Amino acid sequence: MNSPRVAHHIGDDSMAIFMAFQSPEIEVIGLTTIFGNVATKDATHNALLLCEIAERPDVPVAEGSYEPLKRGEPRVADFVHGSDGLGNISLPPPKGSKADKTAAEFLVEKASQYPGEVSILALGPLTNLALAIKSDSTFASNVKKIVILGGAFFALGNVNPAAEANIYGDPEAADVVFTSGANIVVVGINITTQVKLTDEDLAELRESKGRHAQLLSDMCKFYRDWHVKSDGLHGIFLHDPVSFVALVRPDLFSYKKGVVRVETQGICVGHTLMDQGLKKWNSNNPWSEYSPVSVAWTVDVDQVVAHIKKLLMKP
Amino acid sequence: MGQPKKKIIIDTDPGIDDAMAIFVALRSPELEVIGLTTIFGNVYTTLATRNALHLLEVAGRTDIPVAEGSHLTITKGTKLRIADFVHGTDGLGNQNFAPPKGKAIEQSAATFLVQQASLYPGEVTVVALGPLTNIALALELDPDFAKKVGQIVLLGGAFAVNGNVNPAAEANIFGDPDAADLVFTSGADILAVGINITHQVVLTDTDREKLSKSKGKLAQYLCKILEVYFSYHHVAYNTAGVYLHDPTTLLAAVNPSLLTYAEGVVRVQTSGIMRGLTIFYNKKKRFGEVTEWSDKPNVKVAVTVDAPAVVELVMERLMNS
Repeated sequence: MNSPRVAHHIGDDSMAIFMAFQSPEIEVIGLTTIFGNVATKDATHNALLLCEIAERPDVPVAEGSYEPLKRGEPRVADFVHGSDGLGNISLPPPKGSKADKTAAEFLVEKASQYPGEVSILALGPLTNLALAIKSDSTFASNVKKIVILGGAFFALGNVNPAAEANIYGDPEAADVVFTSGANIVVVGINITTQVKLTDEDLAELRESKGRHAQLLSDMCKFYRDWHVKSDGLHGIFLHDPVSFVALVRPDLFSYKKGVVRVETQGICVGHTLMDQGLKKWNSNNPWSEYSPVSVAWTVDVDQVVAHIKKLLMKP
Repeated sequence: MGQPKKKIIIDTDPGIDDAMAIFVALRSPELEVIGLTTIFGNVYTTLATRNALHLLEVAGRTDIPVAEGSHLTITKGTKLRIADFVHGTDGLGNQNFAPPKGKAIEQSAATFLVQQASLYPGEVTVVALGPLTNIALALELDPDFAKKVGQIVLLGGAFAVNGNVNPAAEANIFGDPDAADLVFTSGADILAVGINITHQVVLTDTDREKLSKSKGKLAQYLCKILEVYFSYHHVAYNTAGVYLHDPTTLLAAVNPSLLTYAEGVVRVQTSGIMRGLTIFYNKKKRFGEVTEWSDKPNVKVAVTVDAPAVVELVMERLMNS
């Protein structure tokens, strides 16, 4: 398999990005950035830095939207990842600079340059993807696959009981993407919160000969301490790495197909709801007549953890 | 010497499974049915009242008062969703029953609820089988109603499953989401039974046969009206049986140990495409910020049900009727 991939966004995604660079079956053709864990500008800064650390300064970084489609100033989760998004460790500034194109322009360009070949791993709010869909009507059919980390399917959210952070960050954009007709796989926190790296795993990583093991261990410390407070978890959830595994090892998950919509109003704004297709509705509803997407339903936890550890400990 | 009987008021929109629930209630020695209040849902309120009176006459219990409820939602909405395609245009399986002889009492449902709760503080259980408009109106009428009412056992919501009106919403909550949110956050002792529970409780064709062969008068009556309900389930859900939504909820009031419960906060989405969505928060996970679920009173939400025991109890009480 040598289909090119675009990775997307930054944060606890550092891990996912390093994993992508360490995966021979993947060609990372660009990173696009978005607000979420940090403001977009900082995400761009971090993306450039990570490419340099990974000795891949050739990978273009296209900066994304500074704010969601409709909601003004974004909410930034710096209490999760540290105010710099990399766990408050001091790193030198990047030498390179961002691409001339915006993230949406870059996505549209690559999708039409390699129709049916580009997969997008979307690890933050979906603003850039929605802008790409809105600006080019062929974008949804040109992309091979979009793997989305987002949503909470028939489970509690993580921003509030109704909403998961990435979708909550731009619910209008998320609804545009889910109803776009693109080939979409969505991995919600109902899946990602089943996959953890324990304190023992983190210690093992630190001791390993992994190419970026030291740096990742340092970055993870802040993230790990937040999990203790928030979830009583001594370790970390692997939201972004799990989504990356869904891209390269789709066989480690099972899926259900159904139309997914996102609420954009009221107290449940950001809620993702899938029609499981268990009932024949007697009239049209807001789910009718959209294309179904694949919602990750179960995960082979042991194999996913093993795959993640293997990549992170790879010299 | 048994326990003193539990006083219950059934708030109902009959409705085929409402009829079953009402009959089961009337044949439950643990209960004293002190009134029926009516609401739109399966049928319009006027027809719900007529059907409630009719069902009491069939059961020979015209001593029980019927108080007519609201014709509008709590926000004065007139665009009601009526499930006549589930229960027949008359709500009772298109049997063309003669009109009842009796009449509803003068009091409105909300006034009746408030009066009875004040008369027997802490003793009245309200079993709410339709949209929650009357209960919300009672809460508005008397700020102490939440404290005075014993318990509100309600059929409503779809907790962590798809709805039955659309993928987001269950019919009773969808009928009046604003009222439902008021009730869930009122601080009353609430026990909610959602379709995640009632979809496990199925009356099969075989059960219906048994009912029809029994000598129970009410069982005989129900078998006639059940036909429409069975054929709807066959088309909509591809099942050879019917869900016992209302009887299950009624039995939760009779014997709470037939189900298990979780405690937490329930909020209802009142706008947007997911209007009527119920979200239950068990307070186990902590959030970084204050949410719309913070600082709201707990309710109980049913999480498991002993379905065979519920079906058996329904059958037993109807066959001995």
